[in-house]
Amino acid sequence: MSARPARIMRHWANQPLAWKGLVVVALPLAVLIGALGSLYISSRVEAQAESDVRRAFAIQRDTYRVHALLAEAAAGVRGYLLTREERFLEPYRKAEADLPATMARLDADIRDAEVRARFERVQARTAQKREGLATLVALADSPGDPATRAARIEAALAANKVVLDSMRAEIDNIQRREAVLLDQRRARVESVQRNFLILTVISALVGLLGSLAAVYLFSTGIVRRVRLLEGNAERLARGEELGPFPEDADEIGRLARRLSLASQLLRAREQDLRESEERFRLVVEGVQDYGIFALDPDGVVASWNLGAQRIKGWQAQEILGHHFSRFYPPETRDYLPGRMLDMARQGGTAEDEGWRLRKDGSRFWANVVITALYDDAGQLRGFAKVTRDITERRRTEEALRQAREEAIAANLAKSEFLSRTSHELRTPLSAILGFGQLLELDEEQFDTRHRAAIGQITKAGRHLLSLINDLLDISSIEAGGSELELERVDMGEMLAEMHALALPIVAEAGLDFRLEPDPGPLAATADRRRLTQVILNLVANAAKYNRDGTFVRLGCHVLDGEAVVEVEDDGPGIAAADVPRLFTPFDRLGQQSRMRVDGSGLGLALSRRLVEAMGGQIAYAPGRKGALFRFTLPLAARPADEDKAMRPRKAARKAATAKSHNPVETNAK
Amino acid sequence: MMAQPVQREELLARRILAIDDEEANVLLLASLLEREGYGDVHYLTDPARAMETFLALQPDIVLLDLMMPGVDGFQLLEAFARHAREDDFRPILVLTADTTLQARRRALALGAKDFVVKPFDIIEVSLRIANLLETRILYERLRQNPAANQT
Repeated sequence: MSARPARIMRHWANQPLAWKGLVVVALPLAVLIGALGSLYISSRVEAQAESDVRRAFAIQRDTYRVHALLAEAAAGVRGYLLTREERFLEPYRKAEADLPATMARLDADIRDAEVRARFERVQARTAQKREGLATLVALADSPGDPATRAARIEAALAANKVVLDSMRAEIDNIQRREAVLLDQRRARVESVQRNFLILTVISALVGLLGSLAAVYLFSTGIVRRVRLLEGNAERLARGEELGPFPEDADEIGRLARRLSLASQLLRAREQDLRESEERFRLVVEGVQDYGIFALDPDGVVASWNLGAQRIKGWQAQEILGHHFSRFYPPETRDYLPGRMLDMARQGGTAEDEGWRLRKDGSRFWANVVITALYDDAGQLRGFAKVTRDITERRRTEEALRQAREEAIAANLAKSEFLSRTSHELRTPLSAILGFGQLLELDEEQFDTRHRAAIGQITKAGRHLLSLINDLLDISSIEAGGSELELERVDMGEMLAEMHALALPIVAEAGLDFRLEPDPGPLAATADRRRLTQVILNLVANAAKYNRDGTFVRLGCHVLDGEAVVEVEDDGPGIAAADVPRLFTPFDRLGQQSRMRVDGSGLGLALSRRLVEAMGGQIAYAPGRKGALFRFTLPLAARPADEDKAMRPRKAARKAATAKSHNPVETNAK
Repeated sequence: MMAQPVQREELLARRILAIDDEEANVLLLASLLEREGYGDVHYLTDPARAMETFLALQPDIVLLDLMMPGVDGFQLLEAFARHAREDDFRPILVLTADTTLQARRRALALGAKDFVVKPFDIIEVSLRIANLLETRILYERLRQNPAANQT
C-alpha cells in the first residue's frame, strides 16, 4: 500500500464512529437519489417528445380534415347547383359547422414557424373558399336571368377551383413539413431514451461501487477492528497477552487502548501476586526448623515443606495424599488426630505437645499447632499444621528440672548437715560449759591456781561457742539457708538504739561514744536483727582495739542513693598491709592482739556476708586518725511517714541521751 | 485470803525426771540439782525406757532432750500429752542443742512448757525448773481447794 492511501486510511480510521456511519449510509443514498433524478428528467423529456409526435399526427389529421371538408362541401355545392336538391348542401353545412373548431385546434397545436405561415395561408384560402361557396349557394337561389346566372356561377366555380388547388398545395407542404418535424422529434426521443439508458447504467455502476466502498470501509474501519477487539477481550479473559491493535483515535481505538491498559494493569497485578506467592512458597518451603504443611478438610496431607521433611523424614512425594494420622504413635493414633481436627474446627486452632513418629519409626517430642482454614464463604478449605521438634528442649527442661531438684536436695542436705553439726558440737560443749559454771559457783572451794584453770576452761568454752555460732551463721548464709527478713528500717531510730545498747561497752573501754551524723528522716531496707548484729560487731571491735584513743563514732548519711553507716575510732588504725585480709575468716591481724582481745576472728567476715546479703557493701578506710568502717544499705523505696517515723525515734533518742545505766548484756562476738 | 507462798522445802521434795542420751549432760543436771538440794531426782539415758519410767515415776517435772537415737523427744512429748490429765499441770522443760526456730515452735506446740538451748546457763535452768515446779504446786493447791479461786 502506498503512502497516500495509507494516510487516507489512517485519516478514515481516526474519524468518530458516528461520522463513519453517516458516510457509509449517505454515500449509496446519494447515488440512489442521483439515479432517481436522472430517471425523472429522462421520463419528462420522453413524455414531451411523445406529446410532440401526437400533436404532429393531430396537425396532419386536422389539415386533411380541413381539405376533405372543403372538397366535399365544394362537390356538394356543385351538385346542388345542378340539381337544386337540398341534400347536396349537407356537406357544405357540415363543413360550415366543423371548420371553425378544426381550425381553432390547428391554431392551438401548431408551434413550428414555417407550418404556422403555411397554416395562415391555408386559413386565408379556407375563408376564401367558404366565401366562394357561400356566393355559389346565393347565386343558385337568386332570381334572374339563368344565363347570366350560369355565367356567373361558371366564373365563381373556376375561381373556387383555383382556391382549392392552391390550398391543397399548402396543405401538402404542411404535411411534408410536419412529417419532417415528426422525424426530428422521433430522433430526439430515441436520443433521450439512449441517454437515459446510459445514465441508468452509470448510476447502477456508481451505486454498486459506492456500496462496495462503504462495505469495504465499514469492514476495515469497524468490523475488522471490533473483531480484533473481541479477540483481545477474550485473551484478557484468559489472562493472555493482547494482540497488536492500531492506534486509532475513534471510540473503538479508545476502547482498545483502555483494554490494553486494563490488560497491563491486570498483568502487573498478576505478576505481583505470582511473585508474592512465589516468595511465600519459597519461605514456607525453605523453613527448616518448622514443619509447615497443609491438610485437606479430611486430614490428608496436601503440601509439605523442607522443615517437615527434615523433622519427620518423609519426602514430599512419599507423604502427599496420605492421612496425617500416620504421624501419631499407635497409642494416640486412633483418637488424637480426629480430636485435634475437631478442636481446630470448633476453636480455630488446636495446640498439642506429645510424641510423634518419624518415617523410620523413631519418636520425637513435638509441639503441634493446627489452624483451620476457611474461605470467604465460610467453607472449610483445610488445615495448616505447624510442627516443631522440641525433643531437645524437653530434654534440656528435664535436665534442668533434675538439676534444680538435685540442687534443692543438696541444699537441704547442707542445711541438715549444718543443723546436725551445730547440734553435735553444742551437746558436748553444753557439758563443758555447764560443769565449768558449776565449778565457778563453788570456786571458794578451790585454790587460786584451780580457779584460774576453771576460768580458762570457761573462757575457752565460750570462745568455742561463739566460734561455732559465727561459723554456722556464715555457712548458713552462704548456703542461702538463712532467710533475711528485709523490712523498712528507720536509721535514726536504729542508730539511737545501737548507741544505747553499746554505750556500756564503749564506756567500759574508757571512750566517748558519739552519734554523728544523725541520719535524720532516713529509712533503709534491711533485716533488723542482722543489721543490729553488724553494727554491734563494728562498734565492739572499735571499742576493743582503740586502746590509746578517746572516742568511737557511729553515724549514717545518704550518698549516691544509698544509706552509708560509718563506725570510726581514733585508735591505732589498721596497717595498710593488713587491710586486704581484714574480712577473711580467722585472720586476727597479729599475734599480740590475740593475747589481749576476745573475738572469734569471724566477726568482720560474718558482717561482710550479712551486709552483702542485705544488698550493700562493706569496706575499710583509714579514718582521720584511726580506723573507719563503712557499709551501705539500699534506701527504702517509700519516703518515711513522718509522724510514724519521728515518734519512736525521739523516744529512742531520749533513751540514748539519758545514758541508761542498766547493764546491757551483749553477746559481742 | 492471800495464797500461801510456796516454801523452798516443798519445791525440793518434788520428783524430777531428766531424760538425755548424753551421759555428761545427765550428770551435769544431776550435779546441778543435787547442789540445789533436790532430793527426788531421777535420770534416764535410754530414751526407749522413757515412757515406762515416766508412767512408773509420775514425776512432777520432766527435763527432756529432743534429739536422741531411737525415740526422739517430739514423740515423747506427744506421748506425755496423751497421758496428761486435763486438770493436771505437769511441766516439761525441753533442753536441746537444736537452735532452730522450727524446733522451738514445734516443741512448745506439742505441750512443752519451756524451752532452753544448749549450752545453757545452769543458774537460768535451775530458776526455770523452780518456777515450773512452783506453778505446779499452786495448780495443785487450786484443785484441792477450789474456794481459793473464788476469792
